[in-house]
Parts: sequence; structure tokens; C-alpha cells
Amino acid sequence: MSNHAVSTTSTWAGGKSPFKVSYGKLMMWFFLLSDAFTFSSLLVGYATVRFSFPQADETQMEQLRTEMPFGTDVHEMFHANPDGFVGEMVDRGIFAETQWPAPELVFNHFPGHHLHWPLMFVSLMTFILIMSSVTMVLAVEAGQRMERKKVEIYMLLTIVGGLMFLGCQAWEWTMFIGEGAKLYSNPFGPVTFAALFFLVTGFHGFHVLSGVVINFIIYLNVLRGTYEERGHYEMVEKVGLYWHFVDLVWVFVFTFFYLI
Amino acid sequence: MSNHNTPVDIHDEVNYDPIVWVPKAHSHGTKGLWKTFWILLVLTIADVALYFTIDPGYFRNGIFIFLGIVKAAFIVYSFMHLTFEHKALKKSIVLPMLFVIYLIVLMLDEARYWLDLNW
Repeated sequence: MSNHAVSTTSTWAGGKSPFKVSYGKLMMWFFLLSDAFTFSSLLVGYATVRFSFPQADETQMEQLRTEMPFGTDVHEMFHANPDGFVGEMVDRGIFAETQWPAPELVFNHFPGHHLHWPLMFVSLMTFILIMSSVTMVLAVEAGQRMERKKVEIYMLLTIVGGLMFLGCQAWEWTMFIGEGAKLYSNPFGPVTFAALFFLVTGFHGFHVLSGVVINFIIYLNVLRGTYEERGHYEMVEKVGLYWHFVDLVWVFVFTFFYLI
Repeated sequence: MSNHNTPVDIHDEVNYDPIVWVPKAHSHGTKGLWKTFWILLVLTIADVALYFTIDPGYFRNGIFIFLGIVKAAFIVYSFMHLTFEHKALKKSIVLPMLFVIYLIVLMLDEARYWLDLNW
């Protein structure tokens, strides 16, 4: 291994670290930059398709909002229609292939009841992911002070947060698929809406899943004392960078899919 | 890491081994991190509140995208510690992302053209 050691101190001979970070952390940053471009392309692609469709008529939407305010039991309200709430929206022309559906009418479910709670579940998911980002950064901070016990606790909390987020996403996908949204069909409007929803949230969810797996491996290493022995917890910091990036991407998934 | 008997100093800045070299870590405290958490929480609640108070349109969407970029900046600079990194690293990460802002502007203009074309 002695050939790795650089004896010269001249910058262009490789005798200095130009970014003043370790090799692994620099590569993590560059990987995240490339991943940011991938997600940017997906989300900007979604936004482009979304804006090339007209949205639902605003006076009709206003009327619907007064008709079914927050907390309305939509199953009870539209039980006369054989296809329920979605069928009623299709009959009224609010869900049509020629216009983009308003997110408040698509993402209005909450576990445990059938009440109209628009955007509340996704807000909860966002909160869970932000919280797990906080526990992750606290693990990194404890690692910088070499406090192994705290790193263990915060890493475990981060993993739990990630699993909770994945559970929420599984539930949301189940609801969405149950209502007839597939990669190739979509009762809420244009097919591209469902296709891009599954593609982008699926790609993000897969990042969360791999983040949980990597976090778990690092957590086991913390338990074994690998980093204590190594003299630094930079591995926790590197996996932390990845985890925060996943949170960062969710900020934009939330913005583009659920708000716009 | 010349051999197992004489381990190299992983923090040595002068005669450093690029494979194992790590700068000395030091904590910047948790106060700033909690501040970032509250900012993210408030901005997310503001997002949902604005969704129900402002009529849909370019103005509202512009606010959402702007708030998204603000939240992203807080995550990158505070949670990912970019503030404390060397300025060359900061520039290498942040400047390429400006292309994305250009891509957003470009593609939204394209989308408006498709909208006029189709409907």
C-alpha cells in the first residue's frame, strides 16, 4: 500500500487535497450531483407535460369546494354513483383525459376513515422524512464528537423514520392502484399523470429503500465499533449526505406532484 | 498505511495518503440544525396553506417552486454541511445546479407552447 502515499507537497503533483475533503466524501458529493440531474430531468419532464394540459375549470372547482369542504365523507356523499367519488367526478367532467386533475381531489385519503382530507397524508409523509433527516444529522453531529451511544440511537431512529415513510408510500400506492390508476390507465385524467406518478415516486421510493438498507449496514458497523476503531465517523456523514439528498428530492416531488 | 506495524496518521495534511486521508471532524453544534428543522416545517405548512388560499396559476406555482428551492438550500447548506466545506467544493456542487433553473424556465415555456398548440 506504500505506493499510495504521496511524498511531494506540490499541488499539481497531488500533494494536497484541493477540496479539503476525503476521497470518499468528494465522490459522494459528485454522485449526488449526478443524481440531482437525473431527478431534475424527471421532475421538469413531469412539469412540462403537466403544464401542456389545461387544468379543471376554476368556477366548477370553487363550487365543489363549497359542496364538499374539508372532512366531508365522500363515500356517504356520492354513494348513489356506482363508481363513487371518482365516478361522480368523471360524470361531472372534472376528471377528464383532456385536463390535469387538481391534486386536492386525487390525494385526499387518510388511513382509518373515508373523509375528504386533501393533502394531509402527504404532509404527514413530508414531516416524517424531515424528522428522519433531523435524526440523521444529529447522528452525524454525535459522530463528530465520537459519542458512539448517541450515534447508535439516532441512526436507529433514522432507520425507523425511513421505514415509516416507505410504509406510508406503500399505503398511498395501494389506494391509488385500488382506484384504477396504473402505468397505462388513470381514472383521474391523462394517463401520463399516473405513469409519471408511479415512475417518479417509485424512483424516489427506491432511493429511500436503498438509503434504509445502507443506513442499516452503517448502523451495524457502529454497533460493532468499526468507526470507533477507525478513529472517525465519516462513514455516518457520507451516508447522511445520501439520506439528506433523498429528503431534498422529496421536497421537489412534493412540490411538483402534490402542490402544482 | 506503509505496513501494519506503523499505521499512517489519517489526519496528516503534509505527507498524506489520498486513500485514507480524512480531515479532523469537529462539531458545529445542534442549534443551527434545529433552526433548519423549524424553517423546513414552517415552509412546508406555508406550502399547504398557500395551496388552499391562492388560486391556481403561474403565480402560485412560482411561489411553490421558489419555496422548494429555499428548502433545498437549507437542506444542502445546513444538514449537508456545505456551508463548512471548502469554497471550491461549494462552487463545484452549486454552480452546475444553475443549469436546472435554466431547464425549468426553458421547459415551462415549451409547455406553454404545447398548451397553445393542443387545446
